[in-house]
Amino acid sequence: MKRAVRQALLLLALAVLPAIAEGIYFRNKVSWQSPIPASELVSVDQANRWGGSAIWVDARPDDEFAQDHVPGAFSLNEDHWSELLPQFLPNWSPTKKVVVYCSAESCNAARDVAKRLRDEAQIKDVFVLQGGWEEWLKSRK
Amino acid sequence: MAQVAEMKYVWRIVDLIVGGIFVYAGVLKVLDPVQFANDIDNYKTLPWFVSVRLGFYLPWLEIFCGLALVSRLLYRGGLSILTVLIAVFIGATIAARARGLDITCGCFGHASQHWSFPQHMAVDLSILIALVALLLANRDRSVEL
Repeated sequence: MKRAVRQALLLLALAVLPAIAEGIYFRNKVSWQSPIPASELVSVDQANRWGGSAIWVDARPDDEFAQDHVPGAFSLNEDHWSELLPQFLPNWSPTKKVVVYCSAESCNAARDVAKRLRDEAQIKDVFVLQGGWEEWLKSRK
Repeated sequence: MAQVAEMKYVWRIVDLIVGGIFVYAGVLKVLDPVQFANDIDNYKTLPWFVSVRLGFYLPWLEIFCGLALVSRLLYRGGLSILTVLIAVFIGATIAARARGLDITCGCFGHASQHWSFPQHMAVDLSILIALVALLLANRDRSVEL
C-alpha cells in the first residue's frame, strides 16, 4: 500500500514537468482566465451597432431556433453541422462579422460553433455573443 | 502450476492493452490540450482556470501511468491512479447526464466526439473492470520497484 502511494506520488509529480513545458509552448495560444478570449467576445450593444455588416448564427438546437431567434439569424448547430453549414456559407462574405450565440452565458455551443467556423470554414471575424440569447432578449425589453 | 503461468500471460496482455489505451488517449489529448480543456469545461463542474490547467496536466498523467502498466515500472502507482481517474470520470459523466448536459467525452479525440452516452459508459466501465481486475490479480504478485 505504501509502495503504491509512493509510486503514485512520483507519477503525479513526473507528469507536472511536461505539462508545464507544454503550457509554456501554448502560452499565447490559450486563454487562461476565460474559455473565450476577450477579443473573441462581443456584447449585444456592440453587435447591434454592427448592423448589416453582422451576420447572426444561432448555435442552439433546432427546436429552440424554431421557437424564436434573432431576426435574420441562421441556424447552425453541431447536431446538423454538415447540412446547415452549406446553407449558411452562401450568405457570408469576407466583409461580414459573424456573431454566434447559444442559450446563455453558461452554454458552450456558441464557442464550439465559432471555433469550427474559424477552423473548418476559415472565417476570421467570428465572435461569440456575451450572455447569448438570454442577454439578447433582455436588450429587447 | 501451468495454469498460474498461463494466467500470468493473460494479465500481462491485459496490462499491455489497458496501458496502450491510456497512452493512445493521452497522446491524442496532448496534441490538442485546449480542446481537452473545453471538454472538461463542458462538464460545468470546475472553473475554467482549473479546467485549462487540467487540460495540460491530465493527458501527461495518463501517458505516464499507461507507460507504467506497459513497462511494469511504478506499476502499482500507475494502476491506482488510472483506477481513480476512470472512476472519477464515470462519476462526472453520470452526474453531467443527470443534470441534462449533453457532453462530449473527448476521451479519444475526434473519434469519440459522437459517441452516445451508453457507448461512453460501455467503454469506461470495461476499462474500469479491467483495472480493478488487474489490481486484484497483482495484489499478491511481486512487481518491480
